[in-house]
Amino acid sequence: MDFSLNQEQEMFRGYVRKYLDGAGQTKTARAYIEGENESLRTLLSGLAELGCSSINISEDHGGMGLGPLDLIPVLEETGRSLLPGLFLETNALAVPLIEKFGTEVQKDRYLAEIAAGRKTFSLAWLEPGGSYGPSDINLEAKSLNGQLILSGVKSMVPDAGLADHYIVLVRTGKGKRNDGITLLIVDRNETNITMESQKNIDETRHLAALSFHDVEIPMGQVLGSMHQGWDALQEGLLSFNAALSAVIVGCMEKVVEMAAEYAKIREQFGQPIGRFQAIKHRIVDMKMDLETARSLAYYANWALESGAEDRVQAVSCARIFATKAFVRISSDNIQVHGGIGFTEEIDCHLFVKRARFYENYLGSTEQYYKQAATALGW
Amino acid sequence: MDFSFTTKEEKFRLELRAWLEENLPEGWLEGTSNVSKDEGEYAVFLRNWQRKLYEGGWAAIAWPKKYGGREATLMEEIVYQQEMVRVKAPALVNYVGIHMVGPTLMQIGTDEQKSKYIQKIITGEEVWCQGYSEPNAGSDLSAIQTSAVKDGDRWIINGQKVWTSFGHLADRCFLLARTNRFDKKHKGITVFLLDMNQPGVETRPIIQMDGQHDFNEVYLNDAIAYDAEIVGEVDEGWKVTIALLMHERTGIGAQVFTLEQQFKELVALAKELKEDDMPLMDNPLVRHTMVDLYTRTRGSLLNYYRNLTKTLKNGHPGAEGSMDKLMVSELTKELLSQSISLQGHKGVLWKEDAISSNSYWQDNYLYSFGQTIGGGTSEIQKNTIGERILGLPKDMGR
Repeated sequence: MDFSLNQEQEMFRGYVRKYLDGAGQTKTARAYIEGENESLRTLLSGLAELGCSSINISEDHGGMGLGPLDLIPVLEETGRSLLPGLFLETNALAVPLIEKFGTEVQKDRYLAEIAAGRKTFSLAWLEPGGSYGPSDINLEAKSLNGQLILSGVKSMVPDAGLADHYIVLVRTGKGKRNDGITLLIVDRNETNITMESQKNIDETRHLAALSFHDVEIPMGQVLGSMHQGWDALQEGLLSFNAALSAVIVGCMEKVVEMAAEYAKIREQFGQPIGRFQAIKHRIVDMKMDLETARSLAYYANWALESGAEDRVQAVSCARIFATKAFVRISSDNIQVHGGIGFTEEIDCHLFVKRARFYENYLGSTEQYYKQAATALGW
Repeated sequence: MDFSFTTKEEKFRLELRAWLEENLPEGWLEGTSNVSKDEGEYAVFLRNWQRKLYEGGWAAIAWPKKYGGREATLMEEIVYQQEMVRVKAPALVNYVGIHMVGPTLMQIGTDEQKSKYIQKIITGEEVWCQGYSEPNAGSDLSAIQTSAVKDGDRWIINGQKVWTSFGHLADRCFLLARTNRFDKKHKGITVFLLDMNQPGVETRPIIQMDGQHDFNEVYLNDAIAYDAEIVGEVDEGWKVTIALLMHERTGIGAQVFTLEQQFKELVALAKELKEDDMPLMDNPLVRHTMVDLYTRTRGSLLNYYRNLTKTLKNGHPGAEGSMDKLMVSELTKELLSQSISLQGHKGVLWKEDAISSNSYWQDNYLYSFGQTIGGGTSEIQKNTIGERILGLPKDMGR
């Protein structure tokens, strides 16, 4: 029995933390809100130099060939700093999808670039007014002269302006079912795509609608099999959700630290407010949520890495717990801080907003409840 | 990261399993055993069970071999708890003796105390209880008022204890009494190994809300203890009680595994019960609640394993045990509450009229209210976690 990250993983966490602390933690996120992207770019290339973006890429393609557990330290640390950008989407969604379903050409083209921290991916899934369900995937991809011609609109594409490539869910088959959906890798620079940014609560993450006007995509850009994109995506989402849970653990850890530190220094009635049980017990509840989220997240990543039978329920439950608990404790953090917590000046609100961003990100909480129940055989 | 048990640990499991199959009371595994509800007969049943455990070498597995134990590793203790929970083995009547008093005496008892008490603890010949709480000293144990006054080589003890588990069956009591009034409340407390079978000791039953009788009030009216029955130094009993707590290596393992088992039973219940011809488990609202409970049950088991890993690495348990205790006891209460809700109005039927006819859920539900109180209330656990793990300032008045 050994339920802990190993020494190398903890050591690596140390390097990443030191680097991100040196960069001023949430400073980069705040700069990004102000429209200054340069510090983020610098920071991401620094992380790539540390090796972060190559961890789970196969050795044949310039990576370290490690698994989900080795990615945890980086994910947690980026969560602590509320790092903007597409590290999670690139390394925990695009990489597993390309590794598993990509052609040799695709692997050669993309993996080494990702490993070096030069290229990022986003996911174009939702459509206007639609849900994450397969019946709402209507962006049409018609076969013509050995190409696919895309027309339609994708909305709420995460950091579309930062991404070099998009994985786009398109409708290639007739009807509304999930067996007519195909995944495509589309370059951002493709002509005939227009981008319109969409404002969102979490200003450390940008969203945009993408309109496709007869965009011509070569067949070689199909990721996995034609019409079978939905099933492939589900595989990718297992990796993504296990990783997302770890990012959230990092966010939650920072939130608990903020609350505890503030309760130690803020005095009222002649004593630190952390002495009052009403405050102390609330922070303990937050800590309990954090540690439970951590246990579930680590286990989910272990279950994925070792191909355990219960991996689907493990990942769904880790995601459900983490997303809900993050909303809960980041909100409590504002309450512990009192008036100052309500201001723009202090970081509390940034964590609430990120919690809201993740709550139904790439799948709704209710869908993951269903997925867990099904996986449990109920 | 590794969740497996070693070959040696699995061999240990199989050995215990085989022994249990052979030695559990007739019909126990099938649920057809007929254990008497008469208190006296039940006490005999429990003592016989402990004797059997002792004879099989399973009464105190963590104890040194020279005292009749098998020097089990921490992981073997975990396996032991899993297996005992799995078969819902009868209660260990001398729990206090085996898990607290015995190890404490081995550590700081005199040679005379070791030879006089330890053997009788493991055989079950002498059952022990714990004389800690008092009417005015519950969460604040240092407020005890029971006094012991020196009289030659004897001590005259007066006061009242409460919540004394198995006190009505006990032969001896690990008793805290005040021998001196210092400014610091933790000073001036002494631990006595009190003989319960004497005129100055009277036990009265406390009937719990589940109708059972585990706890007692113990009245001490000029009860006598001797110098030779003091553990450690006079006035330094607080250190002894802390040392005793450190012997609880596995923390709340047994309750974690029970919670896991009860969750599986709850799933079976939700599949079996129907509303308007539809299994409750097919109702999306029920499924939602069940996924929630599953997630947190898994979470508490995994938290426990993570803390266990720390204990294995550090060689001793840390304050994280409070987190396990808090989460598991609160969640157990919630899970059992849900078991009553699922049964609809029939959930209020009790005893032989309950759906399961043995009122398993009702009894456990009612009992669960004690779990967030006994062994340190949830509020006390939260103080411990806040202060020892998060470094928040100590509560007022302390």
